Amino acid sequence: MSDQGAMRDHWYPVGMTKQLTAGGRDTLLMGEPIRVYLDNGAPAVSDGTGRSLPVIDRFGHVWTSLGAPNRDLFTIPEADQPGRRLVDVGVCRVRCSPLRAVENFLDIAHFPFVHTDILGSEPHTEVQRYEVEIREDVDEVWATKVKFYQPQAAKSAEGGITTDYMYRVCAPTCSVLYKTCPPKPGEWDVIALFVQPLTETLCEVWPWMALYDDAAEMTDLIHFQQMIFVQDRSVLENQLPALLPLDPGMEIPTRADMTSIAYRRWLKRHGFTYGAQLVAA
Amino acid sequence: MATELFSIAGQVDAPGFAPWIERHARRIGVGVTLLQAASDHVEIEVEGPPALLDAMEMGCLLGPIEVWVESIVRERVCAAGA
Repeated sequence: MSDQGAMRDHWYPVGMTKQLTAGGRDTLLMGEPIRVYLDNGAPAVSDGTGRSLPVIDRFGHVWTSLGAPNRDLFTIPEADQPGRRLVDVGVCRVRCSPLRAVENFLDIAHFPFVHTDILGSEPHTEVQRYEVEIREDVDEVWATKVKFYQPQAAKSAEGGITTDYMYRVCAPTCSVLYKTCPPKPGEWDVIALFVQPLTETLCEVWPWMALYDDAAEMTDLIHFQQMIFVQDRSVLENQLPALLPLDPGMEIPTRADMTSIAYRRWLKRHGFTYGAQLVAA
Repeated sequence: MATELFSIAGQVDAPGFAPWIERHARRIGVGVTLLQAASDHVEIEVEGPPALLDAMEMGCLLGPIEVWVESIVRERVCAAGA
């Protein structure tokens, strides 16, 4: 078994609440078999020995931990705002490090090349300077004042716009992005990436959204986000090394990679190394 | 081309840090001179195109696993043509 280290005592998504059945779902969490099921109508999780694991039901997903979390699962206050549509996008299995999946989510520079004519397009490839910090009071990574031109920023967008972004890493394998809400200026659309680490090189990604969009069909919202993530998957599954390096090694991060660097520094500081490579290849 | 002083603060006393800085500078293609090394502070002079100085800062912020870099303060020493 790989060393789960400090990540053992954190919460991870292990299924969509509305898909649970009494029969349950057998899956993995950090290399260990678990079962996620309904027990008298309430979500429950047990490990391979039958031991009950702690459970939180939040953001449409079931969360559990192999260890003993000393803090509650993070919050997303926008989830409780009236008028937002909460979208459980589903699951996408990706043959990559769970940390790589989060890092890719934080990367803006790939938009024009991977999500061409949707989230980015040439020649609008420049990532303008933005701000990144590790917020000590909440122990989260935040990137703010991010701006990027997008041909179709969201399902609800009509034509290209310069989109404002904020990124937040609130748990080792979870990130939330806030972006310009085309039909409601002044508000943010919220798109979260909840990653279940099956092993160090295999994960299941559960995107979730809280949007102001009264027009689109729910299936269209889901399909739009699934299309984006399927485009990412082909890139993620071919990244080398498979584990996320916490030493830049052969990579040459640039200023556009500030969020990735901050994320890796945060992982390093906390010893969150499940899915990471400590020494450069 | 520009030359900048990088003041790197943190837990930087690992013996492998200075060689790591030199290797990373070579990889990026910037010149580097080690000016001062203490347990909590390293000063280097870096010379190269501005975008590569940014890349050097990003690399050093992460650094090797045995080092924790708290902050990097950059100070312009001179710019080519100045």
